[in-house]
Amino acid sequence: MGKADRITAALLLAFSAAFSAGALKYYTWWGDSGPGSAFLPFWLGLVMGTLGLGLLFRRPVEAADWMPSREGARRVLVVLGVTVAFVVLMQVIGMIVGVALFLAVLMRYLERQPWWLTIVISAVAAGANWLVFEHWLHVPLPQGIFWTF
Amino acid sequence: MGFGIALTPFNIVMAIAGVMVGMLIGALPGVGPPSGVAMLLPLTFGMDPTSGIIMLAALYAGTMYGGTITSVLINTPGESASVVTCLDGYQMALQGRAGPALGIAAFGSFIAGTIGVVLLMLVSPLLAKWALSFGPPETFALMCVGLTTVTLLTGEDALKGYISMVLGLMLAMVGYDIISGDARFGFGIPEMMDGIDFLPVAIGLFGLGEVLHDAEQVGKPPVPKGKYGLRDVMPSAADWARSKWAIARGTVLGFAVGMLPGAGPTVASFLSYTVEKKVSAHPEQFGKGAIEGVAGPESANNAAATAAMVPMLTLGIPGSATTAIMLGGLMMWGLRPGPMLFEKNPQFVWGLIASQYIANVMLLILSTAFIPLFVRALRIPYGILMPLIITFCITGAYSLKNSVWDVGQMLAFGVVGYAMKKLGFSPAALVLALVLGPHAERALRQSLIISDAGVGIFFTRPISAVLMALALLAIAVPLLRLLRKAARAG
Repeated sequence: MGKADRITAALLLAFSAAFSAGALKYYTWWGDSGPGSAFLPFWLGLVMGTLGLGLLFRRPVEAADWMPSREGARRVLVVLGVTVAFVVLMQVIGMIVGVALFLAVLMRYLERQPWWLTIVISAVAAGANWLVFEHWLHVPLPQGIFWTF
Repeated sequence: MGFGIALTPFNIVMAIAGVMVGMLIGALPGVGPPSGVAMLLPLTFGMDPTSGIIMLAALYAGTMYGGTITSVLINTPGESASVVTCLDGYQMALQGRAGPALGIAAFGSFIAGTIGVVLLMLVSPLLAKWALSFGPPETFALMCVGLTTVTLLTGEDALKGYISMVLGLMLAMVGYDIISGDARFGFGIPEMMDGIDFLPVAIGLFGLGEVLHDAEQVGKPPVPKGKYGLRDVMPSAADWARSKWAIARGTVLGFAVGMLPGAGPTVASFLSYTVEKKVSAHPEQFGKGAIEGVAGPESANNAAATAAMVPMLTLGIPGSATTAIMLGGLMMWGLRPGPMLFEKNPQFVWGLIASQYIANVMLLILSTAFIPLFVRALRIPYGILMPLIITFCITGAYSLKNSVWDVGQMLAFGVVGYAMKKLGFSPAALVLALVLGPHAERALRQSLIISDAGVGIFFTRPISAVLMALALLAIAVPLLRLLRKAARAG
């Protein structure tokens, strides 16, 4: 945990320095009648910097298993990768088709569920999504090129 | 008056739906009350605010009980307020007494919840009237108390809690400044000019973040065998005799603790467990299946969940992550929580309070009748649940404003939430600060205008001085602890 804390602390220090400096440079410190838009951001940056220093120099609190196992890391990356791909492609393939594909990929590829179950659940979930969001709540979901509803 | 509003057929259906969905969400591992409320908030935007908040309040009550089900059956708390329920609840389940454990939790929750609503009804108007005299300095001091106590109590690591909180405040600075009109930290991106919306952040941190965290593991513990029919969940006369005072004490304690901004149901349940163990004639049975160890904390967390509405409605200060999200919902509906709410929107407030009675009745009926159903829901493999929860996070985030930007934001904060959970930071403190940030800033700046830039204004006005002292105390406690540790080590 010590190493992770130090890296986090370094990142926080850089971030808070940039935050305070940016606030002072671009926004007003004091307005006509009172504190301006840079006032609180500057102080927050300063407080965060202090807390970051505290994290950097204190004796690290040992926590046992913060690092995921190889298999765990692989699973998280797969889930995250497929989710990002879904969001990026959402405008192209549409929300409803996208949901079905997303579920199918994760359940079949990552979780090794049987084919029939994968297909049934993907279809039902995509249908429910359409029913609730598109049909009942009139949310204009991204349509995509395959299918317009 | 409230019952006339809450008892319309549509609102009753909303209350039932809220309890049902809430129990289901609470029973699913990895989705607690904040994520449930965050994910379902978009669904209520099409309704009028009263129906919306009725559903959310019912949902909150339902998730509290749903979390109990997983604690008892698979030793996995669905949310933090039922962590202590695992201690004796799961032991009871292993002894084949899961039914009475779930039953006494349901009855305890019902009793505590109902008494809690009565107290809510009595206390809120008084507090609201008192809070009407608050000016900007008092408001700012109150926000400080809320932020510092929440931070202190939600995490194990105070320093990391404060870092999470300040990060939330920094994020709250993004977007148009209400007083000067400056577009702060927008980087020329139009979506950033409106600020960082807390809902995609909350869905990301609590929904996606938790899912990613849980996705690391394959499989989960099985549900112990036992009978879960209606007759099997009824506690026996002996169970009642042992539990009745635990429920009474839990209710009073839970309500008192829940009203404090920041303490909330989790702290209440821990305190209740400690108290029950202290007063018990046979403390050695605790941790080995003592029914008081389930009845007390479960009553306490429900009373506290109801009490958490008091500061939210009367002061505009949420008592927990879940009420913070509900508060954000109120603001989206154009309501301003705070003392004026009782005068300006009485039908909303009383409708909500009355619906709490109804939600408690529904909760009792549904929880005893549908326990077998929820036991089955727990048997759904996580490999199927996990992708489904993610799709819900995505469509939920999208439907807020029909924008892919929000989905991206949700995704980004999902990763942040995962990292925070891994590294021991507190997502709850971040969300709370993000919700309160703009209000705290406005109150601070108005105060400094009034005082002509003197900080003394926060310490010379009596109410504000007391509140500030409390906030400073919350900051000082972990510091003192640290110094003492250093002194001992050196």
